[in-house]
Amino acid sequence: MKKRGRGIGLSFYGTGYGNGFPDVSKARVKLLEDGKVGLFVGGAEVGQGAKTVFVQIAAETLDLYTENIHLEMEDTDITPDSGTAAATRQTYNTGNAIKIACENFMEKLKEYGRRALKLNSTAGLKVEKGEVYLEIFPQKSISFRELAEMYKEETIEAEGEFIAQTVEMDPETGQGAPYWPYTFSACGVEVEVDTLTGQVDILKARLVQDVGRAINPAMVEGQMDGGFAMALGYILFEDLNLVKGKMKNMKFSKYLIPTAMDMVEVENIIVEEPESTAPFGAKGIGEPVMIPVGPAILNAIYDAVGVRITELPATPERLIKAIEEAERRANGG
Amino acid sequence: MIDIRLTVNGKEYSLSIEEDKRLIDVLREDLGFIGVMEGCGEGECGACTVIMDGKTVNSCLVMGFQANGKNIITIEGLAKDGKLDPVQQAFIDVGAVQCGFCIPGAILSIRALLNENPKPTEEEIRESISGNLCRCTGYNKMLEAVERARRYENGA
Repeated sequence: MKKRGRGIGLSFYGTGYGNGFPDVSKARVKLLEDGKVGLFVGGAEVGQGAKTVFVQIAAETLDLYTENIHLEMEDTDITPDSGTAAATRQTYNTGNAIKIACENFMEKLKEYGRRALKLNSTAGLKVEKGEVYLEIFPQKSISFRELAEMYKEETIEAEGEFIAQTVEMDPETGQGAPYWPYTFSACGVEVEVDTLTGQVDILKARLVQDVGRAINPAMVEGQMDGGFAMALGYILFEDLNLVKGKMKNMKFSKYLIPTAMDMVEVENIIVEEPESTAPFGAKGIGEPVMIPVGPAILNAIYDAVGVRITELPATPERLIKAIEEAERRANGG
Repeated sequence: MIDIRLTVNGKEYSLSIEEDKRLIDVLREDLGFIGVMEGCGEGECGACTVIMDGKTVNSCLVMGFQANGKNIITIEGLAKDGKLDPVQQAFIDVGAVQCGFCIPGAILSIRALLNENPKPTEEEIRESISGNLCRCTGYNKMLEAVERARRYENGA
């Protein structure tokens, strides 16, 4: 018999290293010879889109088009340390460092602009669209390219550093301030369980992710799809099958990750509630997107067939066993 | 050693290879087509997918000598005159690429599908890339990319 059920999962997740551990991101911004802006960040792009987001944050802060920003990320010889691409921390933590570096850089540009424009102070100077100009008298203006040419003997650059402060939790009382910020997620799924075979099909899926601000919505959706797929595999198929500490499922033919045929359409809903301490309000979502999906699937299975699966993955064998056991108990056996 | 002759991305090559050399190694090591990725090396992940005489194969499971006389397309062969293939362009435009390791294989699987079947159903698209494992994207953006690629091919 096929039985349907619905389930939801909710989560909140603290991003960054947290729990009192030092968490520092740095960035450097430099005026290049051709008047473009060099952005130097020692973070890793692992496909999550850090490079895109970093350039977007810098472009937005400096009021430049992204093609005028030249990003250097891989070379540790010329980039400051921006910490690991882990703990869902690059967009928020390194993004903050980039924004601070860009703001410091704009102050530097104003100082060089003041010198070039022969003004007595930087008051009233604006940095916009590749130019430094005086707001009350815009004829007083100089482009980044002209500044680069005029001061080619000097290096016009600035650094930014962002430190995330957290307080270790007290092991006795559980009190502390272990993370900031927190990211919230919710998932709802409808499943169909075949009570004869133990097969679970996901009929409908909806994933809601609080992102603070979606700097790049398409990439947020990509992360959400990816998080859903990873959770789907974790809950239903993926089994290392540890026997006496040894992995028995060492191949993709035995350790099954979802294929395009296992994955379902996910209705992704992005919630934007800007975080005041974040770069343009944006929080990290890398890990959070996966977390509520598993509980939602397991709750939906419970709703469908009345059994709680407490050992993963919820394979057909385990599910059938649990259903049979529940029936035996119900019959007083 | 064994002499083989094959066409890769429209160019003919004659070379002498070890009898037990896999096609993936011929393509990567002898001919320099490093867009052919090696994931599992046992035909499960699809990262090494290439198109051979119009059909996709896992190049880790094809011996070099079996490619004798064959016409092979790798990811390097899709762009024409500096312009990306519509499938490649669509993958970029919809954001279907994350870490990118599986992408050459997935794009070639879709290219082979569209060559044979320009109007595939969602099920057919899912099946066409079911042999290309991806840990990042959850595949759904790839499906979106196929729709987009079809629009590009129809000149929209």
